[in-house]
Amino acid sequence: MRSTIALPLTTAVFLLAVLAHLGFFDMERLARGFRNLGILGSEMVPPDLGILPTASAALWETVEMSFAGTLLGFLASLPLSILGTRRLFSTWISGFARFIAAGIRTIPVLLWAIVFVILVGLGPLAGTFGIAAYTVGYLAKIYADLFEGTDPEIMEAVQSTGASKLQLVRFVILPEAANAVLAQVLFMLEYNIRASSVLGFVGAGGLGFVIQIYLQSLDYRRLATVLLLVLVIVLAMDGISAWLRKRFLLSAQPS
Amino acid sequence: MSQNGGAPCALQADRVWFSYRNDDWVLRNVSLSIPAGQHTVIMGPSGTGKTTLLRVLAGILKPNDGRVSVLGEPTHELKARRLSSLIGYIPQQLGLVRNLSALDNVLMGALGRIGDGKAVFGVFPREEIDKAQAALEMMGIAQKGSQQVFQMSGGERQRVAIARTLLQHPRIVIADEFASDLDLALASEILTRIRRAAERENITFIMSMHRIGLARQFGDDVLALKNGEIGRGFIGNEILETTLEAAL
Repeated sequence: MRSTIALPLTTAVFLLAVLAHLGFFDMERLARGFRNLGILGSEMVPPDLGILPTASAALWETVEMSFAGTLLGFLASLPLSILGTRRLFSTWISGFARFIAAGIRTIPVLLWAIVFVILVGLGPLAGTFGIAAYTVGYLAKIYADLFEGTDPEIMEAVQSTGASKLQLVRFVILPEAANAVLAQVLFMLEYNIRASSVLGFVGAGGLGFVIQIYLQSLDYRRLATVLLLVLVIVLAMDGISAWLRKRFLLSAQPS
Repeated sequence: MSQNGGAPCALQADRVWFSYRNDDWVLRNVSLSIPAGQHTVIMGPSGTGKTTLLRVLAGILKPNDGRVSVLGEPTHELKARRLSSLIGYIPQQLGLVRNLSALDNVLMGALGRIGDGKAVFGVFPREEIDKAQAALEMMGIAQKGSQQVFQMSGGERQRVAIARTLLQHPRIVIADEFASDLDLALASEILTRIRRAAERENITFIMSMHRIGLARQFGDDVLALKNGEIGRGFIGNEILETTLEAAL
């Protein structure tokens, strides 16, 4: 009984200490924040729709970067995740593949964008590579875990037909995991669209560059237009994902 | 163990011991000899080691001690593709890929014969596709080839699994609890088809099941497995329920 109370109590005390350290109980500062929120809100309306052509072009660049980056990352993650599947390869090979995926995943997408700005220069190409790199790290890990969970009975049955590793991947692992593979890549595309809207902050193209300019020049009415565009594209992406899931994902097995 | 005198031996287990953990023996000193072309049924209570025995006989599990040989060749010295040309294995849940069509699942029986290149792109030789269609037809579901397995009924799935194994052209088929969750009439119909196909292709069948009536219909010989040990065999036409029940 004592231990059931101890954990939530310790967590609560720790949370309060952390919040105090972060300035959460500085009431004057919080009140000032609320006042500023009101001012910011009033300065954002009405949104300046005059910049729609400029913002739309930047938005399109963001969509292109996300789409290309996600697909490139997805394609690169497949071989890495297959190599990371312990059921198929030795501990050394799968461990090395998983180590590479973990290494890539450790670096946030914004840092990847900076690395690629240094490598290939300013612009959307750097952003595309940055998104692809982060996607590889994330999907390779998810897919390797997913592939490892393939029903061992199916693997055994098809293995006993004399199938090679490559054939097992093609005829068992990928079809069995198809639903989750598609669901994860769609999730990644949605995530990348949101993430890539800030890549312009580091010169990697897309909407971020426009957002940064309007933020620095305190031009909040134009900023509001850009944020609305981001909202529209994220909602549209949600709709497209939902449709794709409904269209391609299998329903539950009939009994 | 078999009483089928003159036929050459298809599968032999010689003093086989198996355990998943140290001294917790699932199979204890199992010896059996199954003549070519015979249909052998293995019966026994749940948890007695039937699945383990079948997996050891199929070369999937390696015995801790003792030896299994198929057509005179030690199972564990055979390469995977050679073994697949001798033994086809159907697990209890059938091991079908649910998202693929029945025909694609049947074609997997041919994977041991064809190279990676074409198969990876889903391209199978015309000859293999024709054989797969014929196997589906033999199982009475020729018109279901394009249907995805997850949309099929239990009985249809059993037929797809058998058709896949037939396409493998094995000399021996080992099936675990086959047709066990089907109603008696359907199970009987499927087993009759299997028996016909097996006789035509001269395949040795080893199957575990728990229904005595079906065992009598299907088996030339019935082996009883209890507490990891083989009890005794019975000749198909002479199976006496009381005798078998006593052995189990």
